[in-house]
Amino acid sequence: MVEPQESKVPALASKVPALASKMKVVDLNVYYGAFQAIKHASLDVPDRRVMALIGPSGCGKSTFIRALNRMHDLTPGARVTGTVTLDGNDIYAPGIDPVTVRHRIGMVFQRPNPFPKSIFENVVYGPKIHGEGNARRLQEICEKSLRAAALWDEVKDRLNRSALDLSGGQQQRLCIARVLAVEPEVILMDEPASALDPIATSKIEDLIHELKKEYTVIIVTHSMQQAARISDFTTFFLLGDLIEVGTTSDIFTRPADKRTEDYITGRYG
Amino acid sequence: MASVVMARPAPGALSSDRARSRRIVDRIATIALWSAATTVVALLLLFIAYLFVQGYSSISWHFLTGYPKSAEAGGGVGPQIFNSFYILILTLIFTLPIAVSAGVFLQEYAGPGRFRDLVQFSAESLATVPSIVMGLFGLIVFVQLFHWHFTALGGALTLTLLNLPAMMRVTQESLAGVPSTYREASMGLGATKWQTVLRAILPSAIGPLTTGVVLVSGRIFGETAALIFTAGSSVSYGASAYDFNPFHTAETLAVHLYSTQREALVPDATQIANGSALVLLVMVLVFNVVARVVGRQLTVRLTGKAS
Repeated sequence: MVEPQESKVPALASKVPALASKMKVVDLNVYYGAFQAIKHASLDVPDRRVMALIGPSGCGKSTFIRALNRMHDLTPGARVTGTVTLDGNDIYAPGIDPVTVRHRIGMVFQRPNPFPKSIFENVVYGPKIHGEGNARRLQEICEKSLRAAALWDEVKDRLNRSALDLSGGQQQRLCIARVLAVEPEVILMDEPASALDPIATSKIEDLIHELKKEYTVIIVTHSMQQAARISDFTTFFLLGDLIEVGTTSDIFTRPADKRTEDYITGRYG
Repeated sequence: MASVVMARPAPGALSSDRARSRRIVDRIATIALWSAATTVVALLLLFIAYLFVQGYSSISWHFLTGYPKSAEAGGGVGPQIFNSFYILILTLIFTLPIAVSAGVFLQEYAGPGRFRDLVQFSAESLATVPSIVMGLFGLIVFVQLFHWHFTALGGALTLTLLNLPAMMRVTQESLAGVPSTYREASMGLGATKWQTVLRAILPSAIGPLTTGVVLVSGRIFGETAALIFTAGSSVSYGASAYDFNPFHTAETLAVHLYSTQREALVPDATQIANGSALVLLVMVLVFNVVARVVGRQLTVRLTGKAS
């Protein structure tokens, strides 16, 4: 039989069976009051790969990613149903500590948001919170994280200067270093380069390439070129529906859904 | 064509009667607003100048440090200046922990709901109580019910009641100024709410918070009505002018200004009142200046941000 597969949400596993799944989303719904921002979304996220979430503004991709480390807990009026598992454990199950969840699933935000502290204090903020008090150890963590975020050479001589003196691109890499310092397993990025110029953006993209060797990266982007450049898999959202997921090359060259094709070819958005 | 007709400039025109009259109105508005703003500054300067002229001759080292006299001329205000600071510090010791904690709770913890509305409403109601009424309350509770008589402690507790709402407001406002991205960043790194408040939010708010606290302190320093019936209008004649016993009567400078003008037997009451007024005004101005300088310094020190 050579008939094309007809399925609402094509299972990624069927296309790439060899990959272990790191996170699994089943029938996720997110509501803001009476408004349903995400409708019955299900998704497998492979370990140590980059998963891009794309779609037009307001499609729910940011809402979706914030559900993956329980950031909606902080939004008054937001409600989440369904299951999200990390290594098979539901992060929304009763008795789960959202603080521990966010320790294992780090997040980088749209606008660089360093604390108004020194560069050093920004990087070691997380480790300190999790109980690391040894000054030498903190310095090691700081250097390692800044190196991993490709920022060390630019700031090593001024670690005690305010983080707010850095450029926007440097601030965003600092925020990535700050996340790496708590050694998460998954890194969520919500349009991390949207406020940056092209050069800073390409540095962030190079960095994401490096990060996937050790981390699972899920990134929201409004730029399809960016998704094509950096991701292994792409998920397309439209009006709160998860339309389609597949390898990035499949999504961009032969999407299964007409709506994906319309978006990819610039019909809307 | 059914388009909206606007008074567009005639082709090639760079001026018109209409444009000229609008420019004149604009000019008049600017001048009027500028005058109003200048009036505020002028009034303050006039006021300070007046008090300086009136009170300058009374000021001397002896006046600033000496004891008041009961019947003859030449009394000083040393104990009153000390008492003003002493009661201020006592008040802050009581006010700050409660007000800052309540402010943090309302701003960071309490979601919208009945309880937050209740606390907010209570604070606003408390803030509208006239200070003389608060003084009467202090008289009934601390002076009569507790049998403390006139004491520095009773005065400080009364001032605590009076200034809690303002301090709470100051805390809330300084926290509200902290960008929510700091909260997200901290929580996103796996911090608890308390860690977020302690390590990310309060340090970022410390500048405006300090400024606000010092400004409220200036008001506490000048408060009179709430103290007349609680801390009393006489100073204790202990071993020195500086009596740290919180259960002794403690007339402040502001109360002294009131009581000398009103009921003093000394022949130089007017000079003493003028001198006291000048000292009081200078102190309060110092508070305002210190509030700004310290707030800015702390912001730079703790956040590395030059504001």
